[in-house]
Amino acid sequence: MKLRGKTAVVTGGAQGIGRAIALGLAREGASVAVADLQREKVEAVAAEARNFDVTAIAVQTDVAKEDSVANLARQALGRFDRVDILVNDAGIFPQARVTEMSEQDWDRVLDVNLGGNFLCCRAFAPSMRAQKYGRIISIASGIAHTGAVAGAHYAASKAGIVGFIKAVARELGPDGITANALCPNIINTELPQSHRTPAELHERLIRNPLGHAMEPDDLVGTILFLASDAASYITGQAVNVNCGTVMI
Amino acid sequence: MSEVALITGGGNGIGRAVALKLAAEGVVVEIVDWDEAAAEKTCDEIRSTGGQASAARVDVRRAPEIKAAIARILERHGRLDILANIAGGSIHRKPLVELTWAEWKEVLDINLKGTFLFCREAAPIMMRQKRGRIVNTASNYGVTGSALRTPYSAAKAGVIGFSKSLALELAPYGVLVNVVAPGPTDTPRVMANWTEESRRQREADIPLRRTGRPEDMAEAFYFLCSPASACMTGQTLHVNGGWVTP
Repeated sequence: MKLRGKTAVVTGGAQGIGRAIALGLAREGASVAVADLQREKVEAVAAEARNFDVTAIAVQTDVAKEDSVANLARQALGRFDRVDILVNDAGIFPQARVTEMSEQDWDRVLDVNLGGNFLCCRAFAPSMRAQKYGRIISIASGIAHTGAVAGAHYAASKAGIVGFIKAVARELGPDGITANALCPNIINTELPQSHRTPAELHERLIRNPLGHAMEPDDLVGTILFLASDAASYITGQAVNVNCGTVMI
Repeated sequence: MSEVALITGGGNGIGRAVALKLAAEGVVVEIVDWDEAAAEKTCDEIRSTGGQASAARVDVRRAPEIKAAIARILERHGRLDILANIAGGSIHRKPLVELTWAEWKEVLDINLKGTFLFCREAAPIMMRQKRGRIVNTASNYGVTGSALRTPYSAAKAGVIGFSKSLALELAPYGVLVNVVAPGPTDTPRVMANWTEESRRQREADIPLRRTGRPEDMAEAFYFLCSPASACMTGQTLHVNGGWVTP
C-alpha cells in the first residue's frame, strides 16, 4: 500500500479513466473525494472505493464553475483536513470540425478541460503549500501533440494543460509540490464508445505499436508512481502512456 | 523465478543506485563497468543485504567484450529480462573548435555506440522470450543542448532517437524500450566540477530547489522496468526537479 494515510481528489471520477484512478488510489490506501457532474454515478464510485477500507466521499461538481469547485475544496478539506493528491481528469470531447464549430462548443471544451484544471489547482494549491507537500496530476492527451480531426478545441485544451502544468510545476515546486501531466492515447471508455461500433472501436484501440487495447486500469500504474514518493523529483513533465503511439 | 538485469556502469553513481534498487526488488543483478573494483563493491553491497549480483569488466565500446558478457549471463541464468544502459558521461567539456576527432569519437562511442552494441546483443534474447525491458540513459542536455558539451548533447539526443526506433522495432515482441533523462545528479563525478556556490546557483533555478540524487533516478529506472509501465514504450522520462520541461 503505497499511499496509506494520503488523501486524494479525483475530478471526472464517475466513469472511465477517472473512476479507475479513484479506485486505484483507494486500493493503495488513499482516502478519496470523487468529483463529477454525474451525481448518482459518482456516488456509486465512492461506495466502491470504500470497499478498500478507506474514507471516500462523492461531491457533485462542475469543474468549469468557480462556486462548484470552491464547494469541492470545502467538502474535501472539511472531511480530510488535508489533500495530498489532486488528479484533474474531468474532460469532454464533443466532436466538431473547426468550420462547423460554434463558439459555445469552443468555450465549453476549453472551460471544462483547461479551465477546470485552473480552478481546481487554484482551489487546492494553498493547502498543499501550507503543508509543503502536494502531487498534482492532470490527464492531458496524445492529441495535445498530434491534433485530431474534429478535435481542434480538444487539442487546444489538452495542449493547454501541458503548458499550464509546466508553469504550475515552476510556481509550486519551491513548496514541495510536483505537477505533471499524463498523456494517454485512445482508451476503451464511454467517450470513444459513444460514436463508434464495437468493431470500429476495437480496430482503433489496437492500432498502436504494442497492439494492445488500452483500458482505464492501464493508466493506474503511472498515476500511482507519480503520486508516490518514488517520483518526488519528477515535475513539469508530460508522461506519455500510449503503447508507443506518440513519442514526443 | 527471479528476473535478471544487466546494468552497465553499475559501479558508481546512478548505475550503482539502479543496481541497488533492482536488487532490493528481488532482481538478480549483473553489473558491467569499466571500473571493475567499483562494480565488485556494488555487488558486495547487494550480497550483504541478501541480494544476488555479479560483476564483470567491460569496455562498452568493444563489441566482442559485450558479446562475451551477455553470453556469460545467458549461460548462468538462461534469460535476460532487463537491460539498463547507464555507462556514460560528458567526459570532455570544451569548445567545439578545440575538440579533437578522437575526443568526439570517445564521447559518442561511450554514450551512444555502447548503448547500440548492448541493445543489439540483448534484443534477440528478449525477442525470443517475448518479454523484456530496455532502459537507456539520456540527459536533459540531449534536449536543451549545453555550451561545451556538443558531443555529449549529440550523443544523448542520439540515444533518444535510437530508443524510439528500437521501441518500434521491438514492440511486436512485447519488448519495451524507454529512456530516463536525468538532470544534474549528486554523484562524485559530477560534484568534482561543482563548488558550493555553483551548486547554490543551480539549485535556485530548479523548481524543487535541490540537486537530483542517484536514488531519484533509480526509482524512475525501476518504474520503467516494472509492470506499472507496461503501456509505455519509446518514451523519455525526465527526472530533473522541473529544471527542464520539454
